[in-house]
Amino acid sequence: MSRALDRSGAWIGWAFFADLAGALALTFGYMFSRSVTMQYPDKEKWLPYSRYRGHHFLTRDEEGEIKCVACELCARICPCDCIEVIPYEDEKGNRHPAKFEIDMARCLFCGLCEDACPADAIALGQEYEFSSFSSRDLVVGRDDLLGKPGKATTGGGVVAARLNTEQDVLVETSEPQGYNWWRNIRRT
Amino acid sequence: MELVFALGLIAFKVALLIAILLLLPLPLTWLERKIAGHIQQRMGPMRVGWHGLLQPVADGIKLLTKEDHIPAEADRFLFKLAPILALAPPFVVFVAIPFGESVSVLGAEITLYVSNMNVALLFVFAVIGIEVYGVIFGGWAANSKYAVLGSLRTCAQMISYEIPMGFAVIGVVMLAQSMSLLEIVRAQADVWNIVYQPVGFFVFFVAGLAEAQRIPFDLAEAEGDLGAGFHTEYSGIRFAFFMVSEYAVMLLVSVLSVILFFGGWNGVLIPLPPLLWFALKVAFFLYVFMWFRFTFPRYRYDQLMAIGWKVLLPLSLGNIIITGVAFL
Repeated sequence: MSRALDRSGAWIGWAFFADLAGALALTFGYMFSRSVTMQYPDKEKWLPYSRYRGHHFLTRDEEGEIKCVACELCARICPCDCIEVIPYEDEKGNRHPAKFEIDMARCLFCGLCEDACPADAIALGQEYEFSSFSSRDLVVGRDDLLGKPGKATTGGGVVAARLNTEQDVLVETSEPQGYNWWRNIRRT
Repeated sequence: MELVFALGLIAFKVALLIAILLLLPLPLTWLERKIAGHIQQRMGPMRVGWHGLLQPVADGIKLLTKEDHIPAEADRFLFKLAPILALAPPFVVFVAIPFGESVSVLGAEITLYVSNMNVALLFVFAVIGIEVYGVIFGGWAANSKYAVLGSLRTCAQMISYEIPMGFAVIGVVMLAQSMSLLEIVRAQADVWNIVYQPVGFFVFFVAGLAEAQRIPFDLAEAEGDLGAGFHTEYSGIRFAFFMVSEYAVMLLVSVLSVILFFGGWNGVLIPLPPLLWFALKVAFFLYVFMWFRFTFPRYRYDQLMAIGWKVLLPLSLGNIIITGVAFL
């Protein structure tokens, strides 16, 4: 009896386009839900998480000496062979890199160099805006790597941003912490 | 003197109507893209003007300055004729459409319609039937397989959906005892036709969707399988003609739905100016058109034909019979 009722109910729904009405109600709900668009670069910008793997950077120790001992482990483990290290010994007999070049055009940002490094000298930082018109510009040397920003301390959110194209293309942010972008995503 | 005044008034009304119809696609494309964006959790145009309000102007400038390309093997005469044939009928139809009773400006009563024909409904259906020529010529003259496929589909679709559409309004004509759109609206002063003719409205609106070639019946220009259908080979200003024509037909179907089934400028409960009531109802139907577009998938071609001939036609005929019996 109940099964027959169910079937007749389904038939009534079909005849009055219950499925189409359901679809319309769903899209109407989405119409008034928040948009997930992030208006990069001139209104908003994403701050990466601290675990984000962006542009590499080299670190210095407390005395200001470069931490890298030029063991070339990063160059060995690199799957795309994009790190080139040439060592030298200073007057105290410590090994340091004379040349430390990363070809960002070939790097796949796997982070294996960071894992392999015995001196915690190289890591992947928070910078992700370094596109260029020439792949030659993407070969980054030792001194540039020392000046790159490190791991993000806060991050993981969207902040207000401003696009500055006066000298270089720059997306400027002022706030340290943004709103959680994921809260806008409607999951049904 | 009076003749000159009357002629001048008609010329002014026609010019105003043409200007409105040519300019209305601008806000409508903006609205369509905004609705599309928000239904898909995007924002739509945001960069040109406030919330992208000037985006249609930018698009218009782009279309006007683009190369007007004619394919080498095209039938040049028909290729140039087709956009005009597609554009003119939706404009001509609006001559017969009333937007309200009359307003008094500087002591003179000015009617809100260009002409009050006693066979306005017949005129509307006759003229809108011409529009299919533009689409067929456009597809044929381009000499491209996608365009020909699109125009063949349009041909079959428009002819099969014009029949239930014509039958659907017969119930309304029977209720109003007139084919004049003005009389039809006046007859709905107390109760709207939708109350007596829900089936008629359903058939009319579905056939109108097909007539305006909107989703779920946009097989003529199914982007997924035909490139752009009959206007695949059109570019620049001629493409803009087809787009304006499409929006004009959409507006026409909305306006006809309001006039025939939703009481025209007769309001309910809230006393608003009649013209505002009319505009609000038309805006609602325009929204429904866009809402449908971003909700439903496209029907398959055989389903389209089956809906037209096996569902809508019997429904509209049954509607006529029941209305007639109820009248007796």
